[in-house]
Amino acid sequence: VKRRAFLATSLGTAGVIGGLGGTAAVATRWDTEAEPRTRAGDAGDERAHGAEHNAHDSGHGGMGTVGAVDHQRNGFHPLEVLTDFDTGEASRDRSGRTVREYEVVTRPKDIEVAPGVTYPAWTYNSRVPGPTIRASEGDRIRIHLVNASEHPHTMHFHGIHPAAMDGVPGAGEVQPGETFVYDFLAEPFGTHLYHCHSFPLREHIARGLYGAFIVDPPEPRPEAHEMVMVMNGFDTDFDGDNEIYAANTVAFAYADDPIAIRRGDLQRLHLINVTEFDPLNSIHLHGNFFRLYRTGTSMDPDELTDTISMGQAERHMIEFTYRVPGRFMFHAHQTEFTELGWMGAFEVA
Amino acid sequence: MAEAIGPDRRPEPLDRGHAIAAIRERHPESPAPDPPATSGAPDPDDRTQTLRRRSRWLVALPLVGMVLVVATLLALDPIRSLTDTEPVESLALERAVLGDNRVNLHVRNDGYVDLTIAQVMVNDAYWEHTVGQRDLGRFDGTTVSFDYPWEPEIPLHIAVLVDSGEVIEYEIDNPSLTPDLDRPTIGTLGLVGLLMAPIPIALGLAWLPALRRGPGTWFDAAMAFTLGLLAFLVIESAVEGLESALEAPRVLDGIGLFFAGALVTIAVLRASGTVGQSRRAADATWQRPSADGRARPDAAARDGQRTVERSGIRLAWLVAIGIGLHNLGEGLAVGAAINTAEVALGTALVIGFAAHNLTEGVAIAGPLGGSPTRTRAILLIALVAVAGLPVLPGLWLGGFILPAGWAALAFGVAAGALIEVIWAVTTWLRSRGVTITPLTAGGFAAAVVVLYLTGIVTA
Repeated sequence: VKRRAFLATSLGTAGVIGGLGGTAAVATRWDTEAEPRTRAGDAGDERAHGAEHNAHDSGHGGMGTVGAVDHQRNGFHPLEVLTDFDTGEASRDRSGRTVREYEVVTRPKDIEVAPGVTYPAWTYNSRVPGPTIRASEGDRIRIHLVNASEHPHTMHFHGIHPAAMDGVPGAGEVQPGETFVYDFLAEPFGTHLYHCHSFPLREHIARGLYGAFIVDPPEPRPEAHEMVMVMNGFDTDFDGDNEIYAANTVAFAYADDPIAIRRGDLQRLHLINVTEFDPLNSIHLHGNFFRLYRTGTSMDPDELTDTISMGQAERHMIEFTYRVPGRFMFHAHQTEFTELGWMGAFEVA
Repeated sequence: MAEAIGPDRRPEPLDRGHAIAAIRERHPESPAPDPPATSGAPDPDDRTQTLRRRSRWLVALPLVGMVLVVATLLALDPIRSLTDTEPVESLALERAVLGDNRVNLHVRNDGYVDLTIAQVMVNDAYWEHTVGQRDLGRFDGTTVSFDYPWEPEIPLHIAVLVDSGEVIEYEIDNPSLTPDLDRPTIGTLGLVGLLMAPIPIALGLAWLPALRRGPGTWFDAAMAFTLGLLAFLVIESAVEGLESALEAPRVLDGIGLFFAGALVTIAVLRASGTVGQSRRAADATWQRPSADGRARPDAAARDGQRTVERSGIRLAWLVAIGIGLHNLGEGLAVGAAINTAEVALGTALVIGFAAHNLTEGVAIAGPLGGSPTRTRAILLIALVAVAGLPVLPGLWLGGFILPAGWAALAFGVAAGALIEVIWAVTTWLRSRGVTITPLTAGGFAAAVVVLYLTGIVTA
C-alpha cells in the first residue's frame, strides 16, 4: 500500500483506533494496514477524536516522520517482535536434558524501515532483528541454519560453546543453498545475542543479520512482562552513516504505537545494542528508574539508574515498574538518534 | 533512392544534370509520366520536381534512420544485460523560501529516474512536513513545506530521504527571511542594482574629460586598461558561469548551456559583422598615412578625425554591450544566490560590486578618449544604460522567477561577446600602431589588479 493511500485513509479512519489499548490492540493494528498514526506525545483524548497527523498536534514540535510503515508487507510488527520468544521444538534426550531445535533461514528482504523508505536487508527468517532464541541454561540447542541467499552467512552466538560451533568462516559458515547445524549447550544465563560473522563483518551486521539470544537462569526469575529491544540503525544510502535509528528496526515504531503496559506489573526489558557505525547507543526511561542487570548474568541488580550507555554487542537486562498511569517516553540519549527514529513510549494503564 | 544505386554502379554525383541523365539511363523502359498535352517530349521541369522531392527524402533519410536506431535501443534494451542498476536519484533545490518559522523548498527531479520523496530531515532530525506531490517523474517539480524554528545566520541542514533510501542534502549556510515579490522589494532590489552597476559605471566614465586633456600616452594606457578589464571579465564570466552551471538543475545541462551561449554569441557577432565593421573603419583611418607615407591634407585629416571618433564610439558600444551582458549574468547569479538563500545580500557585497564596476566605466571611456571631440551627453547616458542596467532584470528574474542556473547562459553569452570585443579592440589598437610598452602593459596589469582586489570582497 502506497503512502498516499495511508494519508488519504488516515483522515477517514482516524477515529477508529482511539479506544485501542492494552495488548489486544497489537493484533488489531497488525491486521489493519491503513491505520492512522499519532505520536506518542498526543493526549489519548486527541487520538480518540481523530487527530490529524501534522506538525501542530504531534506534541514534538514537528519532529518525526510522516506517514505509516506497512508492517504487513514487512511481515513483522515491532510490537510483535517485542514479545516474540522462540523456544524452539523442545524434546528430551536419554539423559533427560532438554533439546531445542530451531530452523533459521537467511534470505534477502526489502524492509520499510521508516514510512516510504525501503532498505535492502539481509535477514534471519525474513525479519530484522532475527528470531529471539530463548532457552534455559544447560539446554542443548540445535539450530539448523539454511542459507537461501546469495552470500555465505553464519550464526555466531555470544555464549560458551566449542570452537567448531563458533559460526565464523571455517567453523560453521554456510554457503548459499547449504545448511549447517549449530549444536551447543546454552550457557551462561543472561541476555545475549547472535549475529552473522561472515566477512566483510560490518556489512553483514549492518544489513540486518542479528538477533537476541536469551538464556534463562536455572532458578526462574520472578514473573514479569518480558520484552526484547534490539537497538539498531540503517544506513539507507550506504555512506557509512545511519539515516535511521530504532529499537527493533522501524523508526518511531513505539512512538506511533506505544507499548501498552499495566501499572504495578513488573517489566523486564532485554536490551541489545547492535548499532553499526556509531560506537555507542543508549536508553533513557522517562518518569522512572530501572534496576540494571549487566549482561543479565546475575540475579542481583548492579545499579539503579534511568540511563545506560552501551557499546556495540553490549547488552543488559533492566527491570522497572510504573506506579501511575500515563504515557512515558523512552529513547536513546544520543539525542541525534532519538530524532532519527530511536524513540518510543510506554502507555501505562 | 537506395534502389537506384545498385552494387554494380558507382554512385554518381548528385549534380542536377548528371542526375537527370542517370535517371534516364537507369530507367530507359520505365513508363514515362503522362506527357503534357502540348508536347510529346518529357518536360525537364517534371524531372527537376521529382529530383527535388527525392532530395527532400535524402535530407530526411538520416533522421528516419536515427528514429529506427532509437526504437531498436528502446525495444531491445541491450544495455540492460550489462548492468541492471538504476542511476541514483537527484532532486535539485530551485528555490528556498524562508518565512517566519516556515520553510518552503521548491525542488525538481533533475535526475535520470523517477523518485518518491519519503521523509525529510532537518538538522539531523526527521521532520513533519507536507509535499505537493511525492512521486516525481523526471523534470517534475514540487514544494516541500514544514514549520521549523530556524534562526538567521545559523546554517540549516535539510535532507530529503527518497524511497530507495538515498539522501539528498541541501545546506542553507546563512538563512535569512526571503523577501516577498512585492513592490517595495522590487524597488529595493532596483535601488541596489542601480548602486551596483549603472552609477559606478557612470562615475568611471566621468574620467573621460581628464583622459582627453591628458597626454596622448594616457589614451594608450586607458585602452590597455580596457583590454585588461575585458580579459578579466571573460575569465570571471567563465568561472561564474560554470559555477552557476553546477548549481543549475541537471536537466538544464548548465555547462552545455554556458558554452552554447558563448559559441552562439561569437557566431552571431561574426556573422552580423558588427565587430568587423569597427575594424574596417579603423583600418580605413589609421592605415592611410602609412600607405603612401605622405602627410595628409587637412580635409583628409578632418575626415580621418571623424572616422576615429565614429570607430571609437562603435568600440565603446561594443565594450558597453559586453559589460552589459556580463552584468546581466552577475544580476542573475546574485539573484539566484538570494533565491536559494545561499547569500544574504549584504552591504559589503554591494560595495564590492560597485567598486568592481567603477572600472567598467573607465573601460568604456577608453575608446572615446581617442577623439578630442566632446561626446554628446545622451550617448554617454545610453552607454551607461546598456552597460549597467541589465543588472536590474538580472536581479529581479534571478531572485524570483528563474531557477538557479540560467545565469550560466547569461554568463556564456557575456563570455562570447567579451571575446569578440577583445578581438575588436586588439585589432583596432594594432591598426593604430599601439604596441606593448611599459605604459600599456601597466594599464593592462592595473585593470587586472584592481578587478582582483575589488573582486575579493564579492568572492
